[in-house]
Formats: sequence, C-alpha cells, structure tokens
Amino acid sequence: MHTQQHADWQTTGLARRARSWLAAAVILGGAASVLFVLQLIILAQTVDNLTFKGHTLASAHMALIEIALLCAGSLLVQWLADMAGAEAGLRISTSVQRDLLHHLFRVGPIGCATLPAGQIVTTLTEGVAALEPYFAQYIPRAAMMVILPGLILAVVFHLDGWSFAILACTGPLIPVFMALVGYSAQSIMNRQWLQLVVMGSNFLDSLRGLTTLRLFGQTQASIDRMRTMAEAHRRATFSVMQVAFLTSATLEFFASLSIALVAVVFGARLLHGTADFRSAFLVLLLAPEYFMPLRAFSASYHARQNATAAATRIAEIASLPELNIAVDGEKPSATHITSLTLDTVCTSYADEPALQAVCARFERGQFIAVTGESGAGKTTLLRLLLGFLDVQSGSITAHDSHGRTVPSPQAHMAWVPQRPLMLFGTVADNMRIAAPQTDRQSLREAAQKADALAFIETLPQGFNTPVGERGSRLSGGQIKRLALARALLRNPDVLCLDEPTANLDPASAHAVARALHQCASYRIVIAATHDDALIRQADQILHVADGKVTVCRQSKDVAA
Amino acid sequence: MSPLRTILPLARPLRGRLLLGLALACGAATANFCLLFLSGWLLAGAAFAGAAGLAAQQTFNMMLPAAGVRFFATVRILARYAERLVTHDAALRVIGQLRVWTYRHLAPQAPAGLTGHRGGDLLSRFVSDTDQMGQHYTDTVLPFVRAAVCGSLFVLIMAIFLPSAAWWLGLALLVCGVGVPFLVGLASDRLLAQLAAQRGTLQADLAETLQSVGEYLSLGAANRQEIAIAEKQLSIAAIQRKLAAIESAARSILTFCTTLTTLLVLVCAVQAFQAHHLSLPEVPMLVLGCLAAFDVLMSLPAARQTLGRTRMAATRLDTACSTPALVPAPTQTPDIQQSFDLMLHDVSFRYPNTTQPVLEHASLTITQGERVALIGPSGSGKSSLITLLFRFYPYETGSISFAGTDIRSFQAETLAQTISVAAQGFHLFNGTVRDNLLLANPAATEGDMQTVLRIALLDTVLEQTEYGLDTLIGDDGLRLSGGQAKRLTIAQALLRNTPWLILDEPTEGLDAATENALMESLLQARPDATLLCITHRRAVLPFMDRAIEIKNGTFCPAEEACP
Repeated sequence: MHTQQHADWQTTGLARRARSWLAAAVILGGAASVLFVLQLIILAQTVDNLTFKGHTLASAHMALIEIALLCAGSLLVQWLADMAGAEAGLRISTSVQRDLLHHLFRVGPIGCATLPAGQIVTTLTEGVAALEPYFAQYIPRAAMMVILPGLILAVVFHLDGWSFAILACTGPLIPVFMALVGYSAQSIMNRQWLQLVVMGSNFLDSLRGLTTLRLFGQTQASIDRMRTMAEAHRRATFSVMQVAFLTSATLEFFASLSIALVAVVFGARLLHGTADFRSAFLVLLLAPEYFMPLRAFSASYHARQNATAAATRIAEIASLPELNIAVDGEKPSATHITSLTLDTVCTSYADEPALQAVCARFERGQFIAVTGESGAGKTTLLRLLLGFLDVQSGSITAHDSHGRTVPSPQAHMAWVPQRPLMLFGTVADNMRIAAPQTDRQSLREAAQKADALAFIETLPQGFNTPVGERGSRLSGGQIKRLALARALLRNPDVLCLDEPTANLDPASAHAVARALHQCASYRIVIAATHDDALIRQADQILHVADGKVTVCRQSKDVAA
Repeated sequence: MSPLRTILPLARPLRGRLLLGLALACGAATANFCLLFLSGWLLAGAAFAGAAGLAAQQTFNMMLPAAGVRFFATVRILARYAERLVTHDAALRVIGQLRVWTYRHLAPQAPAGLTGHRGGDLLSRFVSDTDQMGQHYTDTVLPFVRAAVCGSLFVLIMAIFLPSAAWWLGLALLVCGVGVPFLVGLASDRLLAQLAAQRGTLQADLAETLQSVGEYLSLGAANRQEIAIAEKQLSIAAIQRKLAAIESAARSILTFCTTLTTLLVLVCAVQAFQAHHLSLPEVPMLVLGCLAAFDVLMSLPAARQTLGRTRMAATRLDTACSTPALVPAPTQTPDIQQSFDLMLHDVSFRYPNTTQPVLEHASLTITQGERVALIGPSGSGKSSLITLLFRFYPYETGSISFAGTDIRSFQAETLAQTISVAAQGFHLFNGTVRDNLLLANPAATEGDMQTVLRIALLDTVLEQTEYGLDTLIGDDGLRLSGGQAKRLTIAQALLRNTPWLILDEPTEGLDAATENALMESLLQARPDATLLCITHRRAVLPFMDRAIEIKNGTFCPAEEACP
C-alpha cells in the first residue's frame, strides 16, 4: 500500500494522470513523421529527375505541389501533437499542485513545519513547473525516438543494404552511451536541485529577517553570505551543464561519424556506378533525420533530470503523514457542543512524547485557563484539542445537549494563535477568511466583541485598510484582537486562545478578558495564559508541567 | 528596453567571454552549413563522375572534399561544445552577480520599503527573474546575432554560385527572421505579462497559505482556499496553453517557409543548370545549402518569447530595487566622543500612508547608564521609537540625537555597534541555535554563547536537548515555544555586548517566576548597561530606575508606576 502510494509520485506514476493526451501526442507525432518521410522521398526523386534524368521543370510541377502539401500536412499534424503534449504536461502539473496542497492541509500545521516553508513553496511552484516540459516534450520525444528512426530504417532497408547496416548498428549505440553519461549527470543534478531549494528558502528567510539583520548591524555580512551562496550555486549548475554538454557532444560525434560513413560508402559506389544518385541523395536527406529525434531527446534530457529531482522533492512532501482526523469541514449549524471530554489522552511530536494521560472535562459556559511554565506544553494541549496533533491513545469526545456524540468536533472550534498570521489584504479581507459572505454589519459586531472596532475605525480606510505583509502596518495587540474577531465570526462552540492578552496594554487586556468572559456564557473558551487577571476569571484551571496536566476546579487554588 | 540596461554594467567585466561565445556560436552554425553544402556536392559529383565513365571517375578527386567534410564535421562538434560551455558559464556568472545586486538593493529598504511587497512574490522575483535576465544572453541575444551574421554569410556563399537563388534565400530569411518573431512578439507579449502577474500572485498566495495552514483549518477555510488556488492555476494553465500554441505554430510556419524556399531555389538551380550556367552537382548542393541556412532561424520564435519574459523580469527587478529608500543614507560616518545619551526633542511622526500621528511634539531624554521602562497602550508607538532611532522611517519635525550627534548622520548598521535590540517582530532564521547566535555576533566564542544563554535562562532548556547549541530551531524558530524564542532573541542582543540594550516586551509569554528570574539575571549580568525596556508588564517596573508612559503621542513620566 505504502510503496504503491510512493510510486504514484514517481514520474511514471504521474504520467498515468494524462495517459490519453500522451498517447495522442505520440500517435499524432508518428503520423507527422510518416508524412515527413514521404515528403523527403518525393523531394529526392524530383531532384534526381530534374538533374540526372533530365526531366523538364514543367513535368515536375505536380511533384513540387505534392511536396508543399505533404509539408503543410505534416506540420499541421505535428502542431496537433505538440498541443496534445503541452496539454498532458499542463494537466499533470496542475493536478499535482492541487493534490499536494490538499495533502498539506491534511498534514496540518505541525507536520508542515517539519520542512522549511520556502522549500515547500519552491517545490510547489518551481518543482511542479519542472514536471511540465518533461511530460510535454521528453515523453513524446522519447516515443518518437523509436518511431521515426524505425520508419527511416525501413525506408533505407529498401534503398540500400550498406547504409541500412551502418545506421542500424550506430543508432542503438547512442542511447547506451548517453545513459552512461546521464547516470552521473543525474546525481550531480540532484545535488544542484537541493542547493537551489536551499538558496530559495534562504532568500525568503533572509528577506523576512532583514530588519533583524539590520538591527544586528549584519547587513554587509549577509550580503557576503549571499555572494558565497550564489557562487556555490553557479559552480553546481555549471558542473551539471558540463556533463550534459558532454553528452550531446558524444551524441553528435556518433551521428556525424555514421553519416560520414554512409556518405563515404555511397560516394565510392557512386563513383564506380554501382549505386544510383536518387537513393544516395535520399539517404543523405534521411540520415540526419534518423538522428534528429535523438538530438531532440538529448536536448530535453535535462527536462527529465529536472523532473526526476523535482519528483523526489514532491514525494518528500507527499510522504508527510496526514492527520488521523479531518480537521477541516464546514460547521454543521444544527448541533452544538455542550461538553468536551478528554480521557487519558497521550500525544507526541514525532518520537518525542509531549503530553501524557490528560484527563479533563469542559462544559459549555466555562472559561478554562491553561497555565504552566513557558515551554511546558500549553500550546501543545491546544494543538491537541484543535486536531493538529494526533491522539496516540485515549480519546477526545464531544457531546451535544442531548448527550449525543458530536462527530468531528474540530469543525465547531476556532483558534487564536500566539502570533496570528495576517494575510496580504485589507482588514475586512482578513476577517472574511472565516466567513466569506459576511456583511459589513456582522464584521462590525464581531470586531466590537473582540474590542477591535475602535482601532479599526481610526485606521485611514477603516475596514478597507490594507494590513501589509504579515500585518506589518498593525501593532501586535491590534493583530491579536483582529484575529479574535475573525475567530468569533465563525461562531465557534469551542474557542481556543494562545496567550490572548500578551502584547496588550492593561486597558486593552481588560477589554479582551471581558469579551472572552462574555463569549464563554454560551461557549467553551480555553486560553493558555500567564495573565493573572485571566486566571482569576477562570472557572477551571489546567496546569501543565513535565508533560502532565493537573486539573484545578477552583481558580483560588492556584492563585493562593 | 531600458530596464535591461541594469544588467549591462554587471555584464561588462564578462565582455570577453560573451563575445567569445557569440563567435563560437557563429562558427558552429557556419560549419554545419558548410558540411551539408559540401556533402551534397560530393555525392552528386561522385554520381556524375560515375555516370560519365572511367576517365571521369579517375579524374574525380574525392580526397579533398571528403577531407573537407570531415573537417567541418569536427569543427561543428567542437565549436558547439565550446559554445555551450562558454555561453552558459557567462550566463551563470551574470546570474550570480544579479542575485547579489538584488539582495544588496533590497537590504536598505527593510522594513519600510518591503511592507508593500509579499514574501512569496519577492522569492519569485529573486530566483526566477535573475535567472531569466541571466539567460537573456544565451536565449535571446545569441540566437538573433547568430541569425543575422550567419544568415548574411550563407546568402553570400550562395551568391557566388547562383545570384538568383541567393536573392530568394536572402529575401526569405529576412522575411522569416524579422516577420515571424515580430508576429510572435505581437501575439505573446500581453499573454506573458498576464502569466507573470498571475504566477507571482499564485506563489505569494501559496507562501501565505502554507504559513497559515493551521488558521485556515481552524477557520474552516481550507477547502475554500484550495478551490481559490485551483482556479488561479487553471487560469494560468489556459495562458500557458495559448503560449505553447503560438510557439509551436511559429516553428511550423518557419519550417513551411523553409520547404517553399527550398523548392524555389531548386527551380532556380534547375533553370540555371538547363541553361548551362550551373554544373549538375551544384544543384543538390544549393538545395541542401538552402535547407541548412534556415537552421539558424529555428530558435528565433522561442527567443522572441524569451525576450518578452526578460523585459518583464527586468522591469520588476528594476522597480523593486530602484525604489529610493524612505530614509536617505547619511553621507559621512559620525565620530562619537561623548557619552551615549539619547535625546528626543519635539518629535512628530506618523507612518507613511496613515493619518494617525504616532508621536506629536514628543520629547525624551535617556542618559547613559539609566534603566528606563517605556509603557503605554498597544499601538501607542512604543515600538515605533526603535524604528525612528534606527532610521527605518523618517520623522517629520523635531530632532533626535544620540551621543550628542544628530541621528540623521547614523546608518542603522552604525548605530547597531552601540545599541542592541531584542525587537518584538523578531525573526529567527532556519538553522541551529548556534547559527542564530553567530548571526548576531559572528565573532562570539563558544564560551560567550554559553554565558548569554545562561543569562537568558535558556541553558537548562538546551541541556535537555540532544544537540545543545546545534539544535535545529525550525522555520522562524517554530520548534521553540513563544517564550523560548523570545529569550533566544534576548540572548542574541546580549551576545553583541553593546553599552545600550533595548528590549521590546522581554518577558512576554513568560510566567511570573521565570519573568522575575530573567530580569534579575539580566541586571546582574549587565549592571552598567543602559537599558530601555518596552513593556506593559507591571512586574518589570521594580527593576527599572524610572518609567515613562506614552500618552496621546507624547512621553510623560509615569511616577505612580515606580516604587
């Protein structure tokens, strides 16, 4: 099962996604070749007739028109073949990109963070784009390498035994030599791709950290580092190219050698009158075409190397384990969670145990504070509830007011993380992620509940103010309140918050605390916090230490 | 065309390589032409001699033309190999220089100039656009120069044998070499612009989406986002389909013109042969020559599309890099003699494109050795003080001086020698703890690092990990908890060992016990440092000499807050 899944991400497995288009490209390409060879046969015949046979131009009119028509026909069919190939490439790359994104959503934020974000983006864009020329050009050309030379060999066989022998012997040698050289090129290519990916993510990383680098006074040093990396990248690329160019030089050498042989053998026999010019001229026209698909194939060989390297990267992303439960889902409006029960739940990051045997029960209307030292696992507990971490043993169950189990409780939850992410767009855009159809009035109400309305209204364009890259035009506290408003738009039954009042001044923190308390009257609100004011408000306190969670019913227990 | 001029100065040191590459390319194409030209003559000549009888057979010298064929075949192989090596090496060198050039120009714009851009978009600009511009030489300049030089040469060679055929060939080459690329440009330039714009948006969307996977999931928006991105992909694929159709059609038209011209040349040659102006072997020679001559045009449609892409890449890079920095760089480096006192006098400031002033006629003095807390509501401009001080944004009125010198004569990098900042919007780099510490101070020793980690109370955390200083912290420090990440930035600031320390919310995300321990250990380690703490945690205030509050855009003493 697993190997099967892995094979789906190999280039051969990917080809299955557009099998009929690829077949069309190959068949049409073959038809174009037949027309092309016919065209050459008539051309050779005409040249022979007009020179050696002494025919008049008037008698050749028909032949000239035939040549032009055959040429037009072959080009039209070839154009259709190219389009079928392009379609195959596009279909495969689009579907791979779509599937990967879907998969990444199933993997969840914790799994995605195991690979650098820059690397994933590079793979999803450049990596997937590298698949396109492979399927659009390489595969049809690889098929053409069998069809056209085969056709030419058959024609030459009828014309001249010697030439047939020479071409039939040298032709198959070329792929063998190319494979030998290409094998080493592949390993160099893989290395270079890694470097390209590292460089891609390094630049995004450096750009995001430019302010930090400037504050450290390390701008010049980072430019120097960039120079070193660019130089390393150049060397890696060049070493790949050297091998690739050597491959095509080898190919050309063999092609030239065998054409020369054909010409010399023919020349000698022509001189002795044992061969006719028509065959010789036709073979001379056909011989380069015999090697042409090989040349085209070798030119697109780097497309194969790029695609294979990209497929490895794609497979790496595809092999990230998906979460056991589907976190995403439209919120069913009919049922509401009234209680949430954790029964001896254990979870871990990769192989590292995180939380053990967590038992707790949350009721609707409760405000729950999660306390503990920084790094003790408060955020982990929230991630577990939100379904971003798999439950390894034990269970999390949700019930509605009739005591029935609510399926996929995550669809009823909302989350305000410690450093909420703002999208590049306006304040309203950022709020509407949760509910795209929300009207202005509901936006205002949600903002009001989160104590965000006041500051939004002082922004130059109110709700239509752009927030900048990662919300850079807003302060930390403003971002937090905007994220809370966004979460409330979803009208969740369970609201999880990570340090909701950190970064806020006392007045604003107080307002948020009040808003949270209000929310809790018909919700379960769970907040990881250090804020004493919030902790004092709590109906229940969970204390996290050493991977264990202790439940304290009364807030006074801890405060004392 | 003008943005392309940006790369000309970068390419100047490589002029020799670039010209050598052009010469080799023309040499290879000429060798190819001569090879086919001579082969056609050789075969027909041998056949003619063979048919003419024994005497003609014996006078026909096959050795010399055969040697010529071998010579041109060898030259073709060697010249092509050398051409590829030289041209691609040159192109890669240009790319490397462009990458550094881009980064160097973007650096001084941070953070003000970069807020309008999107991270994913910049990544695409950097990697793809620099590559695209580097390939300008191999993919556009080279094919066009080769077509012009070799095309003329081939016509001249044909003219020696048969001027009428040369006339037709020249006309056809000119019409195809100019007309077809022109039409391709006309049809594809607009599509290319759309493609680039949509690709940029898609990449930025993907980058943003991947950073917010958790939020999309928890907001129930993952499906919607998948659909939105899939729609953009389909629209991109539609454009790509059209471009592929244009490119393939252009190549077909060229091939068709080749065949028509070859037939014309054949007719001319046969007429000349029948009028005894041309010997028989020269007829197939001219036919093959005509076929070979069109080879140099075949790469032109693709080259024209590449030119369109390159122009856009150049324009984008140029726009991103030539935006003048919001704050002009000072012309001279200040010479600091006095003690490090900070003075703000009557300063007013607001962020560009906003109406709300952050500071209004605000004044503040902090003398060396003081410990000052800066408090105030969130969004009141506490952190803006850092951006003003480091000249990330210009202030409107008033004056700011540091160590008795106007800060307008400081560059951020100069000021960083004296002031260390643990900023709120800090960024941790994907790498190890050691990498991140060394970024702050490349000269730091192992001992220095251990010391600052102990001060920031991170030593115990790291002792529990397997790799200690070599622990990978993940993208943007994601493998650390919020409090740990914050303390790592404090360790970075401490490692720089500057007389001034500015800590923005140093104890945010910490529990009360750790908060106290951290402040104590900080003050113990650096008793003489000037300390500015931007905070709204009351627990920090007892460690400070005085507290200043930002209220309505001005600084005022917050006496009641201090013990």
